[in-house]
Amino acid sequence: MSKTKILIFIAASVFIFSASVFLGPKAINPFALTGTDREIIFLIRLPRAIVAALMGIALGASGAVLQGILRNPLADPYILGISSGAALTAALGLLSGLFFFGNLSLPLTAFIGAFFASIIVGSFGWRRGGIWPDRLLLAGVGLSFLFYSVLMLLISISSDEGMRRALLWIFGDLSIADWSLIPYGFLLIIAGLYLSVSRAKALNALMLGDELAHSLGFSVNRERLLLFVSVALMTAASVSLGGTIGFIGLIIPHIVRFFIGADNRIVIPVSAICGGAFLCMADLIGKSVMAPIEIPSGIVTAIIGSPYFLYLLRRRDVLNL
Amino acid sequence: MKKIIIIILISVFFVFNSIFGDEIPDRIVSLAPNVTEILFALDLGNRVIGVTNYCDYPEEARKIPKIGGMSNPSLEAVVSLKPDIVVMTTDGNQKKFEERLRSLKIKTYVFKSRRLSELPQGIRDMGSALGAREKASSFSSEMEKTISKFGRTLPSAKKTKILFIIWPEPLIVAGYGTAIDDVITLLGGENIASKTKVTYPKFSIEEIIRQAPDLIFIGKGHTNIKEASKGLLKKIGAVPAVKTGAVFFVSDNLYRLGPRVVKGIEEMAECLKQKY
Repeated sequence: MSKTKILIFIAASVFIFSASVFLGPKAINPFALTGTDREIIFLIRLPRAIVAALMGIALGASGAVLQGILRNPLADPYILGISSGAALTAALGLLSGLFFFGNLSLPLTAFIGAFFASIIVGSFGWRRGGIWPDRLLLAGVGLSFLFYSVLMLLISISSDEGMRRALLWIFGDLSIADWSLIPYGFLLIIAGLYLSVSRAKALNALMLGDELAHSLGFSVNRERLLLFVSVALMTAASVSLGGTIGFIGLIIPHIVRFFIGADNRIVIPVSAICGGAFLCMADLIGKSVMAPIEIPSGIVTAIIGSPYFLYLLRRRDVLNL
Repeated sequence: MKKIIIIILISVFFVFNSIFGDEIPDRIVSLAPNVTEILFALDLGNRVIGVTNYCDYPEEARKIPKIGGMSNPSLEAVVSLKPDIVVMTTDGNQKKFEERLRSLKIKTYVFKSRRLSELPQGIRDMGSALGAREKASSFSSEMEKTISKFGRTLPSAKKTKILFIIWPEPLIVAGYGTAIDDVITLLGGENIASKTKVTYPKFSIEEIIRQAPDLIFIGKGHTNIKEASKGLLKKIGAVPAVKTGAVFFVSDNLYRLGPRVVKGIEEMAECLKQKY
């Protein structure tokens, strides 16, 4: 992977990010801002674009890491039950009308759920001093089903308006993005990203199998735990910022591997950048095409992403991972 | 001999009743909250034996056996109640369900009004079908009076831009074709969300800032709606409605096309008066 390729990726991402700030339902000329334009940009578009970028970064990177530790191309960050745990507590919060923390109530309740779900899934995956990929995966799937069915139970027995909103939120909603959310989301996601990139070499070894990783000098249990923590951090932060947004965590790492191979030292950061740019773009499309009606970003990501992914799949002979 | 006379008297009574009496169904199942409210308003509440999970008004309706949701009522629950008639709407109930009821020889009545202007006539028609013609007629005339009164007195020269928020985050507003939209128009206002042609669109916050509404209503859907709205109101702090304090938290009277719209109209008109 050459330096120029990386530079092109970064330049394209910056371009998409700016486009999502200045384009939109109505394009705004950055050199001739009116008062209303300024309000729209600073109060609405900029925080929203940043949240989209952060979520995309978190999902892209954690997807890449998770597919590596589970050695499973179908793994996505939501498979661990972290998002359904978050959705459940967020829905419970909405239902019981908890508003202790004002604006931050929804993200906070979601984060609490994500946090505990990660601990539960981690402890189920834990055996004999380490995390076992298959156990982790199955525990995640089992927990997801449990959390979702409790959530659906709540929704079906409740006539409360709050539940319908919870449902909307679960399918990914960036419109509640707000400056107050950004600092803590930024911290958690950057911490997770740093951790995962710093363990990328170990992840490369883990993908070859535990014995080989061990003989290469890596402590399998320790590395896997650290990588799991990085995934949990990023996924929890991302879910609490704007609900669950599908496709990115699952597909972006594959698209990235199509182009640049399977070296995680590059796959993780590039998946992060592409994920961020892609969610910015999807959000831009979602809020523009039917304006002033907004289409949830989670729907847009899959609608525009899946055909492209299938096209790539047809063209490629060799699949990495 | 006595027995025979009694039997004859009873059968004569039944024959007369079926020829001359208004056929009043004794056991009514309602498949929509607004239908339930209308039934109670027409004094038919004591005949309602089944309602949906969403029928929470008036208070008595909560105690009636539930038959499921609007789009997914339980056929079994409805049939087991042995209704004389099932009342449904075109707005939320499925046509298939009506067909299935009919195939089981259960009578149905479909309430077709979807707009404010169609409501009084809709109530009148429903009243005659359910044997409450007089009550329905007087009730509807009363409603028509209120509607025309506000239609004549309030409209100001300048069109007031109005937004009715159903829920702030994610932002859902009342759009085209809702009772709320009709009332805003009736009172001489302009619903800034009615161009979308969607009844309850997920709306763009940017668009609020651009349209700069003079008046914002926030509907009561949840106990903590004031708290929940803070974030949104901060973001749109510069629009005239928020600046001049013309943000009103109102009841859910207009959420359903039923008897309570009269109260809802009065409530909105009162807010408009406060503003001007």
